[in-house]
Amino acid sequence: MIVEGPGYDSDQPPDGSKPKDLTHRCKAVLHRKAPPIHSGQGRGGGSVPGCMYLFLFLFFLVCTCRESVCAQDLNGIVVHAYVSQGFLFSSNNNYLSMKSSDGSLQWTDAAVNISDSLADNLRVGIQLHMYQLGEFGGSNVQVDWALGDYRVNDNFGIRAGKVKTVWGLFNDSQDIDAVFLWILLPQGSYSIDHKSFYLAHIGGDVYGGLPLGKKAGTLHYVGYAGQATVDLNDGYIKQFANLGLIFTSSLGGKTYGGDLRWETPVQGLTIGSSADVQAVDGTAPTGSVHLPPTLTPSFYAQFSRRKVYLAGEYDRIPINATLTIESTVIPFVEDGRSWFAMGSYRLCKNVQVGSYYSHYVNKAADTTQPANHSKDFVVSGRYDFNPYFYAKIEGHFLHGTALGYYSDTNPNGLAPDSKMLSAKIGFTF
Amino acid sequence: MKKARCLVLLLLGSLGSWSAARAQDVVLVANKSVKISEITNADLRAIFIGTKTRFADGSHAVPVTLKGGPAHEVFLKHYVGENPEEFRSQWRKLVFTGQGAMPRAFGSESALIEYVADTPGALGYASRISSHDNVKLLAAVK
Repeated sequence: MIVEGPGYDSDQPPDGSKPKDLTHRCKAVLHRKAPPIHSGQGRGGGSVPGCMYLFLFLFFLVCTCRESVCAQDLNGIVVHAYVSQGFLFSSNNNYLSMKSSDGSLQWTDAAVNISDSLADNLRVGIQLHMYQLGEFGGSNVQVDWALGDYRVNDNFGIRAGKVKTVWGLFNDSQDIDAVFLWILLPQGSYSIDHKSFYLAHIGGDVYGGLPLGKKAGTLHYVGYAGQATVDLNDGYIKQFANLGLIFTSSLGGKTYGGDLRWETPVQGLTIGSSADVQAVDGTAPTGSVHLPPTLTPSFYAQFSRRKVYLAGEYDRIPINATLTIESTVIPFVEDGRSWFAMGSYRLCKNVQVGSYYSHYVNKAADTTQPANHSKDFVVSGRYDFNPYFYAKIEGHFLHGTALGYYSDTNPNGLAPDSKMLSAKIGFTF
Repeated sequence: MKKARCLVLLLLGSLGSWSAARAQDVVLVANKSVKISEITNADLRAIFIGTKTRFADGSHAVPVTLKGGPAHEVFLKHYVGENPEEFRSQWRKLVFTGQGAMPRAFGSESALIEYVADTPGALGYASRISSHDNVKLLAAVK
Protein backbone atom coordinates (compact mmCIF):
# COMPACT_ATOMS: atom_id res chain seq x y z
CA MET A 1 0.00 0.00 0.00
CA ILE A 2 1.40 3.39 -0.86
CA VAL A 3 1.25 6.41 1.37
CA GLU A 4 0.50 9.42 -0.69
CA GLY A 5 1.36 12.93 0.31
CA PRO A 6 0.27 16.27 -1.02
CA GLY A 7 0.62 16.57 -4.73
CA TYR A 8 0.29 12.90 -5.51
CA ASP A 9 -1.61 12.17 -8.66
CA SER A 10 -4.92 10.76 -7.48
CA ASP A 11 -6.00 9.37 -10.83
CA GLN A 12 -7.07 5.75 -10.89
CA PRO A 13 -3.94 3.67 -10.38
CA PRO A 14 -3.28 1.12 -13.11
CA ASP A 15 -3.45 -1.75 -10.61
CA GLY A 16 -7.20 -1.25 -10.22
CA SER A 17 -7.27 -0.19 -6.58
CA LYS A 18 -9.75 2.47 -5.56
CA PRO A 19 -8.81 6.14 -5.74
CA LYS A 20 -7.70 7.22 -2.30
CA ASP A 21 -9.36 9.94 -0.25
CA LEU A 22 -7.46 12.13 2.20
CA THR A 23 -7.64 9.56 4.99
CA HIS A 24 -6.36 6.79 2.80
CA ARG A 25 -3.64 9.08 1.52
CA CYS A 26 -2.11 9.12 4.95
CA LYS A 27 -2.39 5.41 5.71
CA ALA A 28 0.39 2.97 6.24
CA VAL A 29 3.01 5.41 7.39
CA LEU A 30 4.09 3.11 10.12
CA HIS A 31 4.43 -0.03 8.17
CA ARG A 32 5.53 -1.45 4.86
CA LYS A 33 5.18 1.10 2.14
CA ALA A 34 6.52 4.52 2.49
CA PRO A 35 5.27 7.57 0.83
CA PRO A 36 7.77 8.66 -1.59
CA ILE A 37 10.38 11.21 -0.91
CA HIS A 38 10.17 14.45 -2.82
CA SER A 39 12.76 14.36 -5.55
CA GLY A 40 14.71 17.09 -3.81
CA GLN A 41 15.18 14.93 -0.77
CA GLY A 42 16.51 11.96 -2.59
CA ARG A 43 19.94 10.66 -1.88
CA GLY A 44 22.47 9.30 -4.21
CA GLY A 45 20.98 10.93 -7.29
CA GLY A 46 22.01 7.92 -9.31
CA SER A 47 25.75 8.42 -8.71
CA VAL A 48 27.93 5.63 -7.26
CA PRO A 49 28.01 6.05 -3.49
CA GLY A 50 31.29 7.05 -1.84
CA CYS A 51 31.33 3.76 0.08
CA MET A 52 32.05 2.03 -3.21
CA TYR A 53 35.63 3.22 -2.80
CA LEU A 54 35.78 1.43 0.56
CA PHE A 55 34.44 -1.69 -1.09
CA LEU A 56 36.94 -1.50 -3.92
CA PHE A 57 39.78 -1.11 -1.44
CA LEU A 58 38.68 -4.14 0.53
CA PHE A 59 38.21 -6.11 -2.69
CA PHE A 60 41.77 -5.23 -3.71
CA LEU A 61 42.96 -6.31 -0.29
CA VAL A 62 41.37 -9.73 -0.48
CA CYS A 63 42.62 -10.37 -3.97
CA THR A 64 46.22 -9.59 -3.12
CA CYS A 65 46.42 -10.90 0.42
CA ARG A 66 44.05 -13.88 0.37
CA GLU A 67 45.78 -16.09 2.83
CA SER A 68 46.48 -13.35 5.34
CA VAL A 69 43.01 -11.79 5.29
CA CYS A 70 41.41 -13.14 8.37
CA ALA A 71 40.14 -11.81 11.66
CA GLN A 72 42.93 -9.68 13.04
CA ASP A 73 43.66 -10.73 16.61
CA LEU A 74 45.53 -8.03 18.48
CA ASN A 75 46.19 -9.55 21.89
CA GLY A 76 42.62 -10.64 22.40
CA ILE A 77 40.90 -7.91 20.39
CA VAL A 78 39.23 -9.40 17.36
CA VAL A 79 38.07 -7.47 14.30
CA HIS A 80 35.55 -8.67 11.73
CA ALA A 81 34.02 -6.82 8.80
CA TYR A 82 31.83 -7.19 5.75
CA VAL A 83 31.05 -5.15 2.66
CA SER A 84 28.53 -5.89 -0.06
CA GLN A 85 27.45 -4.16 -3.24
CA GLY A 86 24.16 -4.97 -4.92
CA PHE A 87 22.44 -4.39 -8.23
CA LEU A 88 18.71 -4.46 -8.92
CA PHE A 89 16.78 -4.50 -12.17
CA SER A 90 12.97 -4.71 -12.39
CA SER A 91 10.76 -5.21 -15.40
CA ASN A 92 7.93 -3.02 -14.12
CA ASN A 93 7.82 -0.50 -11.28
CA ASN A 94 10.75 0.87 -9.33
CA TYR A 95 11.48 -1.05 -6.16
CA LEU A 96 12.76 0.03 -2.76
CA SER A 97 13.10 3.69 -3.83
CA MET A 98 15.68 2.73 -6.46
CA LYS A 99 15.32 3.47 -10.17
CA SER A 100 15.43 -0.28 -10.62
CA SER A 101 13.59 -0.24 -13.96
CA ASP A 102 16.79 1.26 -15.40
CA GLY A 103 19.03 -0.93 -13.25
CA SER A 104 20.34 0.50 -9.99
CA LEU A 105 23.52 0.16 -7.99
CA GLN A 106 22.22 2.16 -5.03
CA TRP A 107 22.63 -0.78 -2.71
CA THR A 108 25.67 -0.93 -0.46
CA ASP A 109 26.26 -2.31 3.00
CA ALA A 110 29.31 -2.29 5.21
CA ALA A 111 30.07 -3.05 8.84
CA VAL A 112 33.03 -3.54 11.10
CA ASN A 113 33.04 -4.94 14.61
CA ILE A 114 35.57 -5.11 17.36
CA SER A 115 35.23 -7.37 20.36
CA ASP A 116 37.30 -8.63 23.24
CA SER A 117 36.85 -11.37 25.82
CA LEU A 118 37.75 -9.71 29.08
CA ALA A 119 37.29 -12.98 31.00
CA ASP A 120 36.10 -16.52 30.29
CA ASN A 121 32.48 -15.46 30.64
CA LEU A 122 32.61 -11.74 29.86
CA ARG A 123 32.75 -10.29 26.38
CA VAL A 124 32.39 -6.73 25.10
CA GLY A 125 32.08 -5.47 21.59
CA ILE A 126 30.77 -2.88 19.17
CA GLN A 127 29.71 -3.00 15.55
CA LEU A 128 29.52 0.05 13.28
CA HIS A 129 27.34 -0.10 10.20
CA MET A 130 26.45 1.99 7.19
CA TYR A 131 24.15 1.27 4.29
CA GLN A 132 22.70 2.85 1.20
CA LEU A 133 19.45 1.43 -0.14
CA GLY A 134 18.02 3.66 -2.81
CA GLU A 135 17.13 6.86 -1.01
CA PHE A 136 17.41 5.28 2.43
CA GLY A 137 20.37 5.00 4.66
CA GLY A 138 23.20 7.31 3.85
CA SER A 139 26.86 7.84 4.39
CA ASN A 140 26.65 8.29 8.14
CA VAL A 141 27.95 5.45 10.25
CA GLN A 142 25.68 4.07 12.94
CA VAL A 143 26.19 1.89 15.93
CA ASP A 144 24.64 -1.42 14.93
CA TRP A 145 25.18 -2.98 18.34
CA ALA A 146 27.35 -2.27 21.34
CA LEU A 147 27.12 -4.54 24.30
CA GLY A 148 28.57 -6.36 27.22
CA ASP A 149 27.80 -10.06 27.44
CA TYR A 150 28.14 -11.85 30.76
CA ARG A 151 27.50 -15.57 30.60
CA VAL A 152 26.89 -16.85 34.10
CA ASN A 153 26.66 -20.43 32.82
CA ASP A 154 25.19 -22.27 29.85
CA ASN A 155 21.68 -21.87 31.29
CA PHE A 156 21.78 -18.13 31.92
CA GLY A 157 23.47 -15.10 30.46
CA ILE A 158 22.92 -11.34 30.28
CA ARG A 159 23.54 -8.87 27.48
CA ALA A 160 23.16 -5.14 27.92
CA GLY A 161 23.62 -2.17 25.66
CA LYS A 162 22.37 -1.87 22.13
CA VAL A 163 21.40 -5.44 21.33
CA LYS A 164 20.08 -7.03 18.17
CA THR A 165 16.47 -8.12 18.66
CA VAL A 166 15.81 -11.83 18.40
CA TRP A 167 12.47 -12.34 16.63
CA GLY A 168 11.58 -15.02 14.13
CA LEU A 169 14.28 -16.85 12.25
CA PHE A 170 16.20 -13.90 10.83
CA ASN A 171 15.34 -10.55 12.46
CA ASP A 172 18.64 -10.15 14.30
CA SER A 173 20.72 -11.23 11.31
CA GLN A 174 18.65 -9.86 8.41
CA ASP A 175 21.25 -7.26 7.42
CA ILE A 176 24.20 -9.67 7.39
CA ASP A 177 24.32 -10.47 3.71
CA ALA A 178 27.35 -12.75 4.06
CA VAL A 179 25.51 -15.47 5.99
CA PHE A 180 22.60 -15.93 3.60
CA LEU A 181 22.06 -17.50 0.24
CA TRP A 182 19.33 -14.91 -0.39
CA ILE A 183 19.91 -11.33 -1.50
CA LEU A 184 16.48 -10.27 -0.25
CA LEU A 185 14.85 -12.09 2.64
CA PRO A 186 11.07 -12.60 2.45
CA GLN A 187 9.89 -9.01 2.56
CA GLY A 188 6.57 -9.78 4.20
CA SER A 189 8.47 -10.72 7.34
CA TYR A 190 11.73 -8.78 6.99
CA SER A 191 11.15 -5.50 5.16
CA ILE A 192 14.58 -4.23 4.22
CA ASP A 193 13.35 -0.64 3.96
CA HIS A 194 11.87 -0.60 7.46
CA LYS A 195 14.32 -2.77 9.33
CA SER A 196 15.86 -0.16 11.61
CA PHE A 197 12.88 -0.09 13.93
CA TYR A 198 12.84 -3.84 14.45
CA LEU A 199 16.53 -4.58 14.25
CA ALA A 200 17.80 -3.67 17.70
CA HIS A 201 16.86 -2.25 21.06
CA ILE A 202 18.71 -0.39 23.75
CA GLY A 203 18.24 -2.34 26.92
CA GLY A 204 18.99 -5.80 28.15
CA ASP A 205 18.55 -9.44 27.27
CA VAL A 206 18.59 -12.60 29.31
CA TYR A 207 19.33 -15.78 27.43
CA GLY A 208 20.33 -19.37 27.88
CA GLY A 209 19.77 -23.03 27.06
CA LEU A 210 17.85 -25.54 29.15
CA PRO A 211 18.66 -29.20 28.45
CA LEU A 212 15.49 -31.30 28.42
CA GLY A 213 17.19 -34.66 28.59
CA LYS A 214 18.95 -36.88 26.08
CA LYS A 215 15.82 -37.68 24.12
CA ALA A 216 14.10 -34.30 24.35
CA GLY A 217 16.69 -31.85 23.07
CA THR A 218 17.38 -28.37 24.39
CA LEU A 219 15.19 -25.31 24.87
CA HIS A 220 16.89 -22.01 24.07
CA TYR A 221 15.34 -18.80 25.33
CA VAL A 222 15.81 -15.05 24.99
CA GLY A 223 13.91 -12.37 26.89
CA TYR A 224 14.44 -8.67 26.38
CA ALA A 225 13.20 -5.24 27.32
CA GLY A 226 14.27 -1.79 26.33
CA GLN A 227 13.75 1.07 23.95
CA ALA A 228 13.54 0.85 20.18
CA THR A 229 14.08 3.84 17.92
CA VAL A 230 13.38 4.58 14.29
CA ASP A 231 16.54 5.76 12.62
CA LEU A 232 16.22 9.21 10.98
CA ASN A 233 17.49 7.67 7.73
CA ASP A 234 14.84 4.95 7.74
CA GLY A 235 11.93 4.55 5.37
CA TYR A 236 9.41 5.41 8.06
CA ILE A 237 10.89 8.89 8.55
CA LYS A 238 10.79 9.48 4.80
CA GLN A 239 7.13 8.56 4.80
CA PHE A 240 6.30 11.12 7.45
CA ALA A 241 8.32 13.82 5.72
CA ASN A 242 6.16 13.50 2.64
CA LEU A 243 3.07 14.08 4.73
CA GLY A 244 4.51 17.20 6.25
CA LEU A 245 5.71 15.54 9.42
CA ILE A 246 9.38 16.45 9.52
CA PHE A 247 10.97 14.67 12.41
CA THR A 248 14.24 16.09 13.67
CA SER A 249 14.60 13.61 16.48
CA SER A 250 14.14 9.87 16.32
CA LEU A 251 10.80 8.27 17.05
CA GLY A 252 10.72 5.46 19.48
CA GLY A 253 9.08 3.63 22.27
CA LYS A 254 9.33 0.83 24.74
CA THR A 255 9.75 -2.69 23.55
CA TYR A 256 9.82 -6.06 25.21
CA GLY A 257 9.47 -9.64 24.15
CA GLY A 258 11.05 -13.02 23.92
CA ASP A 259 11.94 -16.03 21.84
CA LEU A 260 11.75 -19.72 22.62
CA ARG A 261 13.32 -22.22 20.27
CA TRP A 262 13.40 -25.95 20.75
CA GLU A 263 16.45 -27.70 19.42
CA THR A 264 14.73 -31.04 18.92
CA PRO A 265 16.30 -34.49 19.31
CA VAL A 266 16.23 -34.72 15.51
CA GLN A 267 19.61 -33.24 14.62
CA GLY A 268 19.21 -30.05 12.64
CA LEU A 269 15.51 -29.52 13.40
CA THR A 270 14.54 -26.41 15.37
CA ILE A 271 11.02 -25.21 16.13
CA GLY A 272 10.28 -21.92 17.78
CA SER A 273 8.15 -18.91 18.45
CA SER A 274 8.76 -15.26 19.20
CA ALA A 275 6.62 -12.44 20.53
CA ASP A 276 7.50 -8.77 20.40
CA VAL A 277 5.59 -5.82 21.86
CA GLN A 278 6.44 -2.38 20.60
CA ALA A 279 5.07 1.11 21.01
CA VAL A 280 5.95 4.19 18.94
CA ASP A 281 5.56 7.85 19.74
CA GLY A 282 6.98 10.81 17.92
CA THR A 283 6.35 14.53 17.80
CA ALA A 284 7.09 16.81 14.86
CA PRO A 285 6.44 20.56 14.54
CA THR A 286 3.27 19.91 12.56
CA GLY A 287 1.95 16.78 14.19
CA SER A 288 2.59 13.51 15.90
CA VAL A 289 2.34 9.76 15.57
CA HIS A 290 1.21 7.28 18.19
CA LEU A 291 1.23 3.51 18.07
CA PRO A 292 0.10 1.84 21.30
CA PRO A 293 1.93 -1.28 22.47
CA THR A 294 1.44 -3.83 19.69
CA LEU A 295 2.03 -7.57 19.91
CA THR A 296 3.78 -9.17 16.95
CA PRO A 297 3.98 -12.98 17.09
CA SER A 298 6.11 -15.26 14.95
CA PHE A 299 6.10 -19.05 14.55
CA TYR A 300 8.84 -20.87 12.70
CA ALA A 301 10.68 -24.10 12.02
CA GLN A 302 13.93 -24.87 10.28
CA PHE A 303 15.86 -27.97 9.33
CA SER A 304 19.55 -27.74 8.50
CA ARG A 305 21.70 -30.75 7.88
CA ARG A 306 24.80 -30.96 5.74
CA LYS A 307 23.74 -29.86 2.26
CA VAL A 308 20.04 -29.30 2.89
CA TYR A 309 18.28 -26.33 4.45
CA LEU A 310 14.50 -25.99 4.87
CA ALA A 311 12.59 -23.32 6.77
CA GLY A 312 9.14 -21.85 7.18
CA GLU A 313 7.72 -19.00 9.20
CA TYR A 314 4.38 -17.30 9.90
CA ASP A 315 4.16 -13.77 11.27
CA ARG A 316 1.39 -11.38 12.15
CA ILE A 317 1.85 -7.61 12.43
CA PRO A 318 -1.39 -5.87 13.48
CA ILE A 319 -1.23 -2.08 13.52
CA ASN A 320 -3.69 0.33 15.07
CA ALA A 321 -1.97 3.71 14.97
CA THR A 322 -2.99 7.36 15.01
CA LEU A 323 -1.49 10.15 12.97
CA THR A 324 -2.17 13.76 13.87
CA ILE A 325 -1.32 16.30 11.16
CA GLU A 326 -2.24 19.85 12.09
CA SER A 327 -5.75 19.34 13.50
CA THR A 328 -6.57 16.25 11.46
CA VAL A 329 -6.56 12.95 13.32
CA ILE A 330 -6.09 10.02 10.98
CA PRO A 331 -6.50 6.44 12.22
CA PHE A 332 -4.47 3.78 10.53
CA VAL A 333 -5.43 0.13 10.84
CA GLU A 334 -3.57 -2.72 9.18
CA ASP A 335 -3.47 -6.46 9.85
CA GLY A 336 -0.34 -7.73 8.12
CA ARG A 337 -0.08 -11.51 7.88
CA SER A 338 2.88 -13.09 6.19
CA TRP A 339 4.41 -16.50 5.75
CA PHE A 340 7.18 -18.04 3.73
CA ALA A 341 8.61 -21.45 2.87
CA MET A 342 12.18 -21.83 1.68
CA GLY A 343 14.67 -24.50 0.79
CA SER A 344 18.26 -24.63 -0.38
CA TYR A 345 20.83 -27.23 -1.37
CA ARG A 346 24.60 -27.06 -1.52
CA LEU A 347 25.62 -28.49 -4.85
CA CYS A 348 29.31 -28.45 -4.01
CA LYS A 349 31.78 -26.64 -1.81
CA ASN A 350 31.43 -23.35 -3.68
CA VAL A 351 27.86 -23.42 -4.98
CA GLN A 352 24.53 -23.20 -3.18
CA VAL A 353 21.09 -22.85 -4.81
CA GLY A 354 17.65 -22.36 -3.38
CA SER A 355 14.15 -21.03 -3.69
CA TYR A 356 11.43 -19.52 -1.55
CA TYR A 357 7.83 -18.40 -1.74
CA SER A 358 6.75 -15.42 0.35
CA HIS A 359 3.12 -14.44 0.93
CA TYR A 360 1.86 -11.22 2.53
CA VAL A 361 -1.66 -9.84 2.86
CA ASN A 362 -3.24 -6.95 4.72
CA LYS A 363 -6.29 -8.62 6.22
CA ALA A 364 -7.76 -5.25 7.25
CA ALA A 365 -8.36 -4.41 3.60
CA ASP A 366 -9.51 -6.11 0.42
CA THR A 367 -6.76 -8.68 -0.11
CA THR A 368 -7.76 -9.27 -3.71
CA GLN A 369 -6.44 -5.83 -4.59
CA PRO A 370 -2.75 -5.77 -5.60
CA ALA A 371 -2.13 -2.88 -3.20
CA ASN A 372 -3.04 -5.17 -0.30
CA HIS A 373 -0.98 -8.23 -1.05
CA SER A 374 2.50 -9.26 -2.12
CA LYS A 375 3.38 -12.74 -3.32
CA ASP A 376 6.93 -13.41 -4.34
CA PHE A 377 8.48 -16.52 -5.88
CA VAL A 378 12.26 -16.40 -5.71
CA VAL A 379 15.16 -18.45 -7.04
CA SER A 380 18.72 -17.82 -5.89
CA GLY A 381 22.26 -18.95 -6.40
CA ARG A 382 25.48 -18.22 -4.52
CA TYR A 383 29.11 -18.86 -5.47
CA ASP A 384 31.88 -18.64 -2.89
CA PHE A 385 35.20 -17.83 -4.57
CA ASN A 386 36.93 -18.47 -1.26
CA PRO A 387 35.93 -18.22 2.43
CA TYR A 388 36.00 -14.41 2.19
CA PHE A 389 34.56 -13.42 -1.19
CA TYR A 390 31.24 -14.40 -2.72
CA ALA A 391 28.70 -13.54 -5.39
CA LYS A 392 24.95 -14.03 -5.55
CA ILE A 393 22.26 -13.84 -8.19
CA GLU A 394 18.52 -13.88 -7.58
CA GLY A 395 15.28 -13.69 -9.53
CA HIS A 396 11.94 -12.48 -8.16
CA PHE A 397 8.49 -13.04 -9.64
CA LEU A 398 6.44 -10.56 -7.68
CA HIS A 399 2.66 -10.26 -7.63
CA GLY A 400 1.04 -7.38 -5.77
CA THR A 401 2.29 -3.96 -4.73
CA ALA A 402 1.81 -3.98 -0.96
CA LEU A 403 5.52 -4.02 -0.14
CA GLY A 404 8.56 -2.06 -1.21
CA TYR A 405 7.04 0.50 -3.56
CA TYR A 406 7.12 4.28 -3.29
CA SER A 407 5.06 6.71 -5.31
CA ASP A 408 7.82 9.26 -5.93
CA THR A 409 9.84 6.63 -7.80
CA ASN A 410 6.67 5.38 -9.48
CA PRO A 411 4.94 8.63 -10.55
CA ASN A 412 2.88 6.86 -13.22
CA GLY A 413 1.42 4.38 -10.78
CA LEU A 414 2.19 0.71 -10.33
CA ALA A 415 1.76 -2.35 -12.46
CA PRO A 416 0.37 -5.22 -10.35
CA ASP A 417 3.19 -7.63 -11.25
CA SER A 418 6.90 -7.24 -11.65
CA LYS A 419 9.91 -9.41 -12.32
CA MET A 420 13.21 -8.51 -10.76
CA LEU A 421 16.80 -9.57 -11.14
CA SER A 422 19.25 -8.82 -8.37
CA ALA A 423 22.94 -9.52 -7.97
CA LYS A 424 25.44 -8.95 -5.21
CA ILE A 425 29.09 -9.36 -4.47
CA GLY A 426 30.44 -9.31 -0.97
CA PHE A 427 33.52 -9.61 1.12
CA THR A 428 33.76 -10.66 4.74
CA PHE A 429 36.29 -11.74 7.30
CA MET B 1 30.24 -60.16 -16.46
CA LYS B 2 31.23 -62.08 -13.35
CA LYS B 3 34.52 -60.20 -13.22
CA ALA B 4 32.74 -56.85 -13.60
CA ARG B 5 30.32 -57.73 -10.80
CA CYS B 6 33.23 -58.67 -8.54
CA LEU B 7 34.97 -55.47 -9.39
CA VAL B 8 31.89 -53.43 -8.51
CA LEU B 9 31.46 -55.30 -5.23
CA LEU B 10 35.12 -54.83 -4.40
CA LEU B 11 34.85 -51.14 -5.17
CA LEU B 12 31.73 -50.71 -3.05
CA GLY B 13 33.31 -52.62 -0.21
CA SER B 14 36.43 -50.52 -0.31
CA LEU B 15 34.35 -47.34 -0.36
CA GLY B 16 32.44 -48.52 2.69
CA SER B 17 35.57 -49.41 4.61
CA TRP B 18 37.15 -46.14 3.49
CA SER B 19 34.17 -44.17 4.87
CA ALA B 20 34.31 -46.07 8.16
CA ALA B 21 38.06 -45.57 8.35
CA ARG B 22 37.66 -41.79 7.81
CA ALA B 23 35.50 -41.49 10.90
CA GLN B 24 38.43 -42.79 12.89
CA ASP B 25 40.89 -40.42 11.25
CA VAL B 26 40.32 -37.61 13.74
CA VAL B 27 41.42 -37.51 17.36
CA LEU B 28 40.11 -35.10 19.97
CA VAL B 29 42.83 -33.19 21.78
CA ALA B 30 42.53 -31.06 24.89
CA ASN B 31 44.73 -29.07 27.18
CA LYS B 32 46.05 -31.09 30.12
CA SER B 33 44.12 -28.86 32.51
CA VAL B 34 40.89 -30.42 31.21
CA LYS B 35 39.89 -32.96 33.81
CA ILE B 36 37.43 -35.05 31.81
CA SER B 37 38.70 -37.96 29.75
CA GLU B 38 35.62 -38.43 27.59
CA ILE B 39 32.97 -36.18 26.12
CA THR B 40 29.55 -36.97 24.69
CA ASN B 41 28.85 -36.30 21.03
CA ALA B 42 26.07 -33.92 22.08
CA ASP B 43 28.35 -31.87 24.31
CA LEU B 44 31.05 -31.83 21.65
CA ARG B 45 28.62 -30.52 19.06
CA ALA B 46 27.16 -27.95 21.47
CA ILE B 47 30.62 -26.59 22.33
CA PHE B 48 31.61 -26.26 18.70
CA ILE B 49 28.38 -24.50 17.67
CA GLY B 50 28.58 -22.13 20.62
CA THR B 51 25.55 -23.20 22.66
CA LYS B 52 27.72 -24.60 25.44
CA THR B 53 30.81 -23.01 26.90
CA ARG B 54 31.61 -25.54 29.61
CA PHE B 55 32.58 -29.16 29.91
CA ALA B 56 30.41 -31.56 31.89
CA ASP B 57 32.47 -30.84 35.01
CA GLY B 58 31.68 -27.12 34.75
CA SER B 59 35.12 -26.00 33.63
CA HIS B 60 35.41 -23.50 30.80
CA ALA B 61 35.82 -24.92 27.29
CA VAL B 62 37.78 -23.11 24.56
CA PRO B 63 37.03 -24.71 21.19
CA VAL B 64 39.59 -24.27 18.43
CA THR B 65 39.36 -25.36 14.82
CA LEU B 66 41.37 -25.84 11.68
CA LYS B 67 40.77 -23.51 8.76
CA GLY B 68 40.25 -26.40 6.39
CA GLY B 69 41.57 -29.75 5.27
CA PRO B 70 40.49 -33.38 5.58
CA ALA B 71 40.62 -33.52 9.38
CA HIS B 72 38.46 -30.39 9.61
CA GLU B 73 35.88 -31.80 7.20
CA VAL B 74 35.77 -35.19 8.90
CA PHE B 75 35.42 -33.61 12.34
CA LEU B 76 32.58 -31.31 11.25
CA LYS B 77 30.80 -34.09 9.39
CA HIS B 78 30.94 -36.70 12.13
CA TYR B 79 30.79 -34.63 15.31
CA VAL B 80 29.04 -31.37 14.40
CA GLY B 81 26.87 -32.58 11.54
CA GLU B 82 27.67 -29.63 9.29
CA ASN B 83 29.83 -28.92 6.29
CA PRO B 84 32.58 -26.27 6.59
CA GLU B 85 30.55 -23.62 4.75
CA GLU B 86 27.49 -23.93 7.01
CA PHE B 87 29.74 -24.05 10.09
CA ARG B 88 31.43 -20.83 9.01
CA SER B 89 28.10 -19.10 8.21
CA GLN B 90 26.64 -20.06 11.54
CA TRP B 91 29.57 -18.57 13.44
CA ARG B 92 29.54 -15.47 11.29
CA LYS B 93 25.91 -14.95 12.24
CA LEU B 94 26.83 -15.08 15.91
CA VAL B 95 29.78 -12.73 15.42
CA PHE B 96 27.94 -10.11 13.37
CA THR B 97 24.90 -10.11 15.69
CA GLY B 98 27.11 -9.71 18.76
CA GLN B 99 26.07 -13.05 20.18
CA GLY B 100 29.37 -14.86 20.09
CA ALA B 101 33.06 -14.92 19.29
CA MET B 102 34.37 -17.16 16.54
CA PRO B 103 36.67 -20.00 17.67
CA ARG B 104 40.29 -19.48 16.79
CA ALA B 105 41.18 -21.22 13.57
CA PHE B 106 44.59 -22.51 12.59
CA GLY B 107 46.10 -23.22 9.23
CA SER B 108 47.97 -26.31 10.37
CA GLU B 109 47.49 -29.13 12.83
CA SER B 110 50.82 -28.42 14.47
CA ALA B 111 49.80 -24.83 15.22
CA LEU B 112 46.46 -26.03 16.59
CA ILE B 113 48.10 -28.63 18.81
CA GLU B 114 50.62 -26.10 20.09
CA TYR B 115 47.81 -23.68 20.98
CA VAL B 116 45.80 -26.40 22.70
CA ALA B 117 48.86 -27.37 24.72
CA ASP B 118 49.35 -23.78 25.89
CA THR B 119 45.73 -22.77 26.55
CA PRO B 120 43.80 -23.93 29.61
CA GLY B 121 40.46 -25.41 28.63
CA ALA B 122 41.31 -25.66 24.94
CA LEU B 123 39.64 -28.41 22.89
CA GLY B 124 40.46 -29.24 19.30
CA TYR B 125 41.08 -32.06 16.86
CA ALA B 126 43.77 -33.39 14.58
CA SER B 127 44.47 -36.34 12.34
CA ARG B 128 47.22 -37.58 14.64
CA ILE B 129 49.37 -36.55 17.54
CA SER B 130 52.88 -37.57 18.51
CA SER B 131 54.31 -38.47 21.87
CA HIS B 132 55.96 -35.04 21.97
CA ASP B 133 52.65 -33.18 21.85
CA ASN B 134 51.81 -31.93 25.31
CA VAL B 135 48.06 -32.54 25.05
CA LYS B 136 45.65 -35.18 26.23
CA LEU B 137 43.30 -37.28 24.16
CA LEU B 138 39.57 -37.27 24.78
CA ALA B 139 37.24 -40.08 23.80
CA ALA B 140 33.92 -39.22 22.18
CA VAL B 141 31.00 -41.22 23.51
CA LYS B 142 27.35 -41.27 22.52
